[in-house]
Amino acid sequence: MQLCIFDLRRGQQEGQELDKILFFFPADLPFATQLSVIGLSEGLITFTRIFSPDAACEVIEAERHSHVFYEAESDIWMVMVVDKSKESKAACQVDALRKVLKEVHSLFVLFHGTMRSMLEKETSGGLIRSHLYPFITDYLSDFLTGRKLQLPSFHDCLMERGTVQMLTVGREAAIEVQDDTISLFTYAVLRLTPHALSSGATSWSYLQRTNAGSQVPALSTITNSGSVSDNIYRSRDASLDQENNCQVKRPLHHNRWFRGNDGFLASDIWGTDNGSQTSVTPIVYLQLTEERMYLCAYQHKSLTIILLVPVSSILNGEQGLSLVKQQVLENASLKMLMVEEKLSKGWGGENAYHVSGYRYLLVDDERVSRASPPAKVMTLAKESLLALSKLREEVNLEKKRAKCSNSEVNCDKELEICVRAKNGAWVIARTSRGKELYMVLEKASETLLYAADSVEKFSNRYCSGVFSLD
Amino acid sequence: MSSSDSSSSSASDDPNPKLKPQPLESQFQSSLTLEDSDGVARTDDASVAEQQQEQQDEGSGNGSVDGVVNVEDNGHRDSSDREEGIGSGEARDGDGGSGGGGGVVWRRANSEVELEVEAPASPSSSGYAGGRGSSGASSASRADDASEEDEIEVVGNDDGGAVGAPDSQAEWTPGKRHVDEDDASISWRKRKKHFFILSNSGKPIYSRYGDEHKLAGFSATLQAIISFVENGGDRVKYVKAGMHQVVFLVKGPIYLVCISCTEEPFESLVAQLELVYGQMILILTKSLNRCFEKNPKFDMTPLLGGTDVVFSALIHSFSWNPAAFLHAYACLPLPYATRQAAGAILQDVADSGVLFALLMCKHRVGTSLKVISLVGAQKASLHPDDMLLLGNFIMSSESFRQVTSESFSPICLPRYNPMAFLHAYVHYFDADTYLILLTTRSDAFYHLKDCRIRIETVLLKSNVLSEVQRSTLDGGMRVEDLSVDLQQHTGSTSRVEDKPHTETPERIRESSLVGLGGPAGLWHFLYRSVYLDQYVSSEFSSPINTHRQQKRLYRAYQKLYVSMHSKGIGPHKTQFRRDENYVLLCWVTPDFELYAAFDPLADKALAIKTCNKVCQWVKDVENEIFLLGASPFSW
Repeated sequence: MQLCIFDLRRGQQEGQELDKILFFFPADLPFATQLSVIGLSEGLITFTRIFSPDAACEVIEAERHSHVFYEAESDIWMVMVVDKSKESKAACQVDALRKVLKEVHSLFVLFHGTMRSMLEKETSGGLIRSHLYPFITDYLSDFLTGRKLQLPSFHDCLMERGTVQMLTVGREAAIEVQDDTISLFTYAVLRLTPHALSSGATSWSYLQRTNAGSQVPALSTITNSGSVSDNIYRSRDASLDQENNCQVKRPLHHNRWFRGNDGFLASDIWGTDNGSQTSVTPIVYLQLTEERMYLCAYQHKSLTIILLVPVSSILNGEQGLSLVKQQVLENASLKMLMVEEKLSKGWGGENAYHVSGYRYLLVDDERVSRASPPAKVMTLAKESLLALSKLREEVNLEKKRAKCSNSEVNCDKELEICVRAKNGAWVIARTSRGKELYMVLEKASETLLYAADSVEKFSNRYCSGVFSLD
Repeated sequence: MSSSDSSSSSASDDPNPKLKPQPLESQFQSSLTLEDSDGVARTDDASVAEQQQEQQDEGSGNGSVDGVVNVEDNGHRDSSDREEGIGSGEARDGDGGSGGGGGVVWRRANSEVELEVEAPASPSSSGYAGGRGSSGASSASRADDASEEDEIEVVGNDDGGAVGAPDSQAEWTPGKRHVDEDDASISWRKRKKHFFILSNSGKPIYSRYGDEHKLAGFSATLQAIISFVENGGDRVKYVKAGMHQVVFLVKGPIYLVCISCTEEPFESLVAQLELVYGQMILILTKSLNRCFEKNPKFDMTPLLGGTDVVFSALIHSFSWNPAAFLHAYACLPLPYATRQAAGAILQDVADSGVLFALLMCKHRVGTSLKVISLVGAQKASLHPDDMLLLGNFIMSSESFRQVTSESFSPICLPRYNPMAFLHAYVHYFDADTYLILLTTRSDAFYHLKDCRIRIETVLLKSNVLSEVQRSTLDGGMRVEDLSVDLQQHTGSTSRVEDKPHTETPERIRESSLVGLGGPAGLWHFLYRSVYLDQYVSSEFSSPINTHRQQKRLYRAYQKLYVSMHSKGIGPHKTQFRRDENYVLLCWVTPDFELYAAFDPLADKALAIKTCNKVCQWVKDVENEIFLLGASPFSW
């Protein structure tokens, strides 16, 4: 696997091509090879624009390699080159790989802001390179099994990267999800809760947004609005810039979170406060507003609570923040106990979402998902998973097509596909009103009607009838 | 390949400097040492060779610059000359004294020899020249007002729905379009489906739209992409951007590229490129590779001169002829005895040294090819793709179509033997029905002529030709005729015969305008018999009555076919697919494949029942709709 990030606005003079490269993995590849990957990518980006000026190059499929493209920011491209002979022999899901690129970029922006802004801050490119290298290396380490990178493959076709997995017990709470939540959720699953939950396991979160005026998104499990937002002090921006410059932070570094003295999770990734022993609270950027927020995490048993506090609202940095944390605990700890108790009672553990006889993935509006537990998916035959993986590619294409042809009207694709694969398994895809359902039924009977009936039952019971015919 | 006016060779000396792809070229070069792009700018060497080719052309072509020779009396002499040219191709390449190119041009010039024994010789108006020089311009202008094929990508264009004239397919005129365009034109960039053939040195050979000579720079870019990936020890298959796909196919020294935003799957597009390549092999044989071995900068365009029309007709057929993706051929529905009679006389002829004998007819809609009967000499079998390419070659070339004329032309069947020429004797009995006799012997013209006379006599005597005419008028299976009660059909020997003769013309006119659709919302079906390599397609019925709707259905079938035959995991057994346009049902078994289209609101259970009935119906009438037993595949 190779992964590179390059900026088309840089290195346009002959002899300065190296300047384009912002990141390359593996870093020890000769420059000539790196440049050849980027040369091909750049060439095809230019070439495809002749015919498709609006939609950028997405993938180059060669016999032995796939190049997956993602234009992370305008003119800044991420390209992943997958060796098909080494990595899973069967076709990888290009869309799943693109989501990996998208995820690593979102996380980077969460902690460091956009790449472009960093490039503008320091035009030589040294700053961004020094940030990207450890960040992405840390990120990729999650895909390492032994010494091999295990990228998303057809085995993962009953999962959806980049979605928040909902707890059913959370239904009663108002749910509003946006990109930042997904990034935070990803981060929480990746790093904050490495032990409490296995990777990919379920968590529950919801975003509470107060009135637009106060612009305080608070991500917490505390439904009562009295706690956090009341304690916001609007004040000048207490910038921590000077501090940030001295050392590159590695927010994705493993095992660097622990419980601090105040009960909140703390990490030494961001260093410690001048002289004192307390660690610096990390600051994250919101995607849309690029507003800077303190990231405070609190854990009670398997419950993780994340608070985002606008940097601009805290008067005197860490001191002010610890006051906020203290108040949160004073006002809300009892509620947290109760919620945790409620959740752990209501949550059926790993297999909570298992529906007997079904292997499924349900995606709502590309943001929220629910799926059969991975252990259950593993019982499926390889052929079934390959067939579903292929079917998902087809559906993605149809979805893309619907988007392209109806750009003005957001028309959701209505689609129903039931395939009886060679091994006799039914592989099913349904899309309706922004919801998608994918299913493998290995033990269904031979008839299409039976399979359709099973979907209908599932739809009525678990999807409030969205996929039912009438 | 629009016009190979000899003087235009200098036009491509320097690629148009304002072409967009140029910077791209340099990008490739800047980051990696690329092969030199001599292919773009022709070197002096190449133009010298070209001149020699031209001279050679004139020298050997009996004065015909086009390389098409129409002969009356001296035809025999010429064709035996040709045999030499093919048999000892290499030797000839050498002794021509003008390099590999010259020799082959000579060969090609002669390979286009046509014997029009009965027709008056009119060198300027017949042969490929018609498709290329003179009528090239006129067909381009005609095309502008009529054909849908000139699709420029417009939002919603494809899904326009009910608008559009009924059956504009018949109005499609083959030939090169938009020769005035090149890659700098916006209209050219917006064409929905481009096809390119180029050599591995980047020389353009064919482009569906635009003038090849003006596309030299673009062609070099395609070559650069392919060789860049090749230099990395890999082979590029496709590139995707938005709804666009760029599909590559490398065949030795020949590169084929399709750029499309038609949403056809990659597998379909690459299969189409294979057919385009096959069509080229059919015209030239694979021995053209040797020319490239000798001279990598070899210019092939003169060899293919005038065959634009063949390629454009083939590409057009990718949008409506199911044979192109099913890899099967269709038969004209005929009473069993009639087909038997035709088969018997063809078999008779095959035993006398004819390799393949095919009696074909043109369907009333467009130029669809239907087989009346076909016979192969012992152990020889004809691949459906070869039949498609052969039929396309013959039907798209104006010169073959002169009724009662006979033509004798070298052709190669790429699936049968890509290295060698066969010789095709073609004769039209009437406007729609024609006979192809294939032989390995180049001097067999008079023998084949005799065979044809024998065949014709028998066909007339046994009323085969009139039955054929009646069947073309009647059309094939209609979904309306699928009765809900299956009993009515079992036992019925021939639907065609069920209908009173006198009513036929009215019936046709009526039903082709307002078919009502079949039971349970059945709109259309395709049935492919796996063992026979044959398929049958129902007549289009309401509401699939405009060309646009037919094309959309065709594309939906094509997608379904690819989905069912997914590489590595296929074939699947069944598929049910409902979207806003149709309910599609597909059923693949070791014996047959059924593709059926229903109203999108059709009931699942009823649709399944109806599919079963269709299969039963097809089995009941298979004697009439398929060519059984007598097929060469039974050996």
